[in-house]
Amino acid sequence: MTVFKTSMRNFFAHKGRMALSAVAVLLSVAFVCGTLVFTDTMNTTFDKLFATTSPDVTVSPKGAEADDTPQNGRPESMPASAVERAGKAAGAKSAEGAVSSMNVTVVNSDNKNMGSSTGAPTIAGNWTKNDLRSMEITSGHAPRGPTEVMVDADTADKHHLKMGDELRTIAVTGDFKAKIVGIATFKITNPGAAVVYYDTATAQRELLGATGRFTHINVTAATGVTDAQLKQNVSKQLTAADGTFKIQTQKEYSDESREGIGEFMNVIKYAMLGFAGIAFLVGIFLIINTFSMLVAQRTREIGLMRAIGSSRKQVNRSVLIEALFLGVVGSILGVAAGVGIAVGLMKLMSMAGMNLSTDDLTVKATTPVIGLVLGVVVTVLAAYLPARRAGKVSPMAALRDAGTPADGKAGWIRGIIGLLLTGAGGAALYTAAGADKASDGASMLGIGVVLSLIGFVIIGPLLAGGVVRTLSAVLLRGFGPVGRLAERNALRNPRRTGATGAALMIGLALVACLSVVGSSMVASATEELDKSVGTDFIVQGNQRIVPQAQKAIEDTPGLEHVTSYKIVEAKLTSPDGKTEDTDVTAADPTYASDLRRETLSGDLAAAYGKNAMSVGSLYAEKHGVEVGDTMTVAFKGGQTAKLKVAAITNDDTALDKGSRYLNITTLKSYVPADKMPPNDMMFATAKDGQEKTAYASLKKSLDAYPQYQVRDQTDYKQQLKDQIGQLLNMVYGLLALAIVVAVLGVVNTLALSVVERTREIGLMRAIGLSRRQLRRMIRLESVVIALFGALLGLGLGMGWGATAQKLLALEGLKVLDIPWPTIIGVFIGSAFVGLFAALVPAFRAGRMNVLNAIATD
Amino acid sequence: MTSAVTIPRHGGTGERTAVAARARQVVKAYGSGETRVVALDQVDVDIARGRFTAIMGPSGSGKSTLMHCLAGLDTVSSGQIYLDETEITKLKDKKLTQLRRDRIGFIFQAFNLLPTLSALENITLPMDIAGRKPDKAWLAQVVETVGLASRLKHRPNQLSGGQQQRVAVARALAARPEIIFGDEPTGNLDSRAGAEVLGFLRRSVDELGQTIVMVTHDPVAASYADRVLYLADGRIVDEMLRPTADAVLDRMKDFDARGRTS
Repeated sequence: MTVFKTSMRNFFAHKGRMALSAVAVLLSVAFVCGTLVFTDTMNTTFDKLFATTSPDVTVSPKGAEADDTPQNGRPESMPASAVERAGKAAGAKSAEGAVSSMNVTVVNSDNKNMGSSTGAPTIAGNWTKNDLRSMEITSGHAPRGPTEVMVDADTADKHHLKMGDELRTIAVTGDFKAKIVGIATFKITNPGAAVVYYDTATAQRELLGATGRFTHINVTAATGVTDAQLKQNVSKQLTAADGTFKIQTQKEYSDESREGIGEFMNVIKYAMLGFAGIAFLVGIFLIINTFSMLVAQRTREIGLMRAIGSSRKQVNRSVLIEALFLGVVGSILGVAAGVGIAVGLMKLMSMAGMNLSTDDLTVKATTPVIGLVLGVVVTVLAAYLPARRAGKVSPMAALRDAGTPADGKAGWIRGIIGLLLTGAGGAALYTAAGADKASDGASMLGIGVVLSLIGFVIIGPLLAGGVVRTLSAVLLRGFGPVGRLAERNALRNPRRTGATGAALMIGLALVACLSVVGSSMVASATEELDKSVGTDFIVQGNQRIVPQAQKAIEDTPGLEHVTSYKIVEAKLTSPDGKTEDTDVTAADPTYASDLRRETLSGDLAAAYGKNAMSVGSLYAEKHGVEVGDTMTVAFKGGQTAKLKVAAITNDDTALDKGSRYLNITTLKSYVPADKMPPNDMMFATAKDGQEKTAYASLKKSLDAYPQYQVRDQTDYKQQLKDQIGQLLNMVYGLLALAIVVAVLGVVNTLALSVVERTREIGLMRAIGLSRRQLRRMIRLESVVIALFGALLGLGLGMGWGATAQKLLALEGLKVLDIPWPTIIGVFIGSAFVGLFAALVPAFRAGRMNVLNAIATD
Repeated sequence: MTSAVTIPRHGGTGERTAVAARARQVVKAYGSGETRVVALDQVDVDIARGRFTAIMGPSGSGKSTLMHCLAGLDTVSSGQIYLDETEITKLKDKKLTQLRRDRIGFIFQAFNLLPTLSALENITLPMDIAGRKPDKAWLAQVVETVGLASRLKHRPNQLSGGQQQRVAVARALAARPEIIFGDEPTGNLDSRAGAEVLGFLRRSVDELGQTIVMVTHDPVAASYADRVLYLADGRIVDEMLRPTADAVLDRMKDFDARGRTS
């Protein structure tokens, strides 16, 4: 009990010194809880959405995919007779046929895409009773004829659509226009899909290219009939004459719809938790430093406790109890802040165009529990080492002159362990760099990264001496005696400087590593594009290229040739009898010059001949395929073909790796026109000297189809660079949390050092150090510590990045490109971080009363 | 006996006044109203140049406060303090810091040295901070005088308490300040080491013409001074010229007795 009481008193006596550690715990816990609340809320939103939009029982044609994007661009459908029959099932209150397609683009009269910018789909369909469960018509009326359309209110708001505006729907079956006659508002949260409705006949004709057919049957149960019973009854009713069906209850259907999003949310969740973990790791350093310094400052007090009879255990426990308080306080605040972070993230998503409502805010009971347990356990574990050190304080310490706490020395055992780990890490990295298979190397890379990181953390205090001296010799020379004092202060406790720098090192190592990988990706892709791409223009979009757009491209003047490119699902059987569900690439023969591929044997041009194809070297090796062998290819939606292998392409490439080519003409003889997939991409090459005008003409041709982008090689590379840059920025943003915690660590170390050195500061002020010199001394110390961390982190990170590149060279990451501007920018930025971290401690040191400082015991 | 202004302001030394520092009607009070505590009560004092002055008095008499105010470490509630002809009670922190740096030397009871600097670096610190080059010959002489030549590279924690105080004395002397203030400089030392340090202080006055003001409660330490000022309840109540340890002790006993009977 007394132990508890002293701990409590100590905690409150030093609450100022604990504040930054508490903030570190708070931030990490908040990030974890924020992630959980955010992803849970998103899941709730989608659960509600799918639960409300799914009818009691849904009947779909067998083989229909949940996302309604079959490869030929037309949803699978079934005849109206099936709807009638389903309605007659026992327990069915009603059954209605629904038409729905996600393979559409809707544009306004300015050819602007009305779809979501966040990746949410555009859904076109007929207006059914089932839709009334989730939406209500808030103005106008439901569509009643071939020229009428209704749109959801969020889309109308976002794009300033009003009644009477004309919308054009682009489907694989053609374009058609309709005027807005109604606006329907979601009664639940719709995160972002754009939804348009037509009357049933129009939807059937324009989306399916057929009459009297439906994509789904929505069956409603009579009162007292469960979904499962109804499902059974419906399945009895439907006969084979109508086709084969997939019948799902509300739960089954919404679970299926949710699956993809659930997986995506999980990826986001674990990625964000990973970054929270890094922040925790960094926070551990901060907590260790705080407690080490508090214990050191309290050496005399602890000695007294020991002298009057406290056991080691009691002293040890008293420190741990303080850590417990810290963990509890920080975690509780962190959980609360986590909810705030989640709301902030939702606001951020809203700004990015996603529609989220705080009504759905979901805080599961497990979330605060996870936050608290994590925060407390990490804090107490981090405090364990300092607590043990406190237990070792001898009763004699009470009698000794207080002076400054003994400066920690880094021992040789630490050096050996650190060197061993770093060495092992280095060896693992070296092995990874030389690995023959990326998968083997990846685990080696992981081991190498972890070991070298731990190694660096351990030898950090030993490196601190040399690195700080070198940095000081270069940077602090100009600052005279103040610079020297700063250097000495940074060196006086290498363990503390090491731990403070290590915290910063972790975040910056990851930044450096990722920047090296990212810029190597850009450089490698650019090199590969320069080497192998022969075409001038590339057309791509988030909808397969509909025939009307294809025609617009082909009709563009100034083009020497245009190449179609389709990926077709197929079952592939090699001569060794092995069958694989995979795909083949059907293209025009001009593709061979649009993208130059190295052939290991045979002739790629011959692969575009009738009933011929090529395979990649990886596949050929795996199945022992040689030129002249015959492959059996069962095209999806078509017949089975026997194709002769005419070429084997080298798969040591990043573009079209593993692709198996055949001529579109060959494909056409096995797949009927209505099952033919639209082009995935198209390539165009300008007539000599007409590149500029052709590019402009192509863009103009695609004006009416904003879902497709045409890019020349320069723009394509730029886009690639931008995409990678965006991804990196996002990751840097998440790493910023770890760096913020590390900066708090620097502030913490300095602030506690200033307290610890109160007498020294008083002495220096007494003998004439001006406030400005004093502040500068503390700032310089901070800068040196920050640069020490940055130097270690950047070095380590570049090592990791270079290893990753060597490893991924097998996957096409052939060029190592070190982004020096970024690296140097980060290094210089770290100096400013150091300056910033020293602001408050320096200010407080400057304000210290000289007399009090001298008098401090 | 409330005034210790007994030495004429202008002596026979010519250019410089014979008074290194003086206090006029200095009041230092803490708090206000009923909790007001007066630490210095209208003190007038002149510190003679080239002399060794000791300030004595019981705990709470205000002796340390007086020294802190004279040295520009503490502010006064009213009154003026002059260092030579500079009124330091008017100075802002920046000027005051410069003044301490360039014109005053300090020796504290303990914790005089920066642990990160060697003995030599500690000695030259005030000049380093000021950006001045130390006078090599003078530095050598000071180091020689305090007997530290072989210990200059050592860090404070490698020196004994007496050696540390000698380094502090050397630091105070090295910058040739107009006046050195000592706050019980031998308080933490055994009598032999204390005698050594006091011997240096005495010699620096006699041989180098240094002005020294020292706060102490040790009659033996006070006996090294030329003049002893006695403080009680924030006032100067007595002084003694050319003191001996026994005389100082007697006088202290006297005060104690008076204190008890009053």
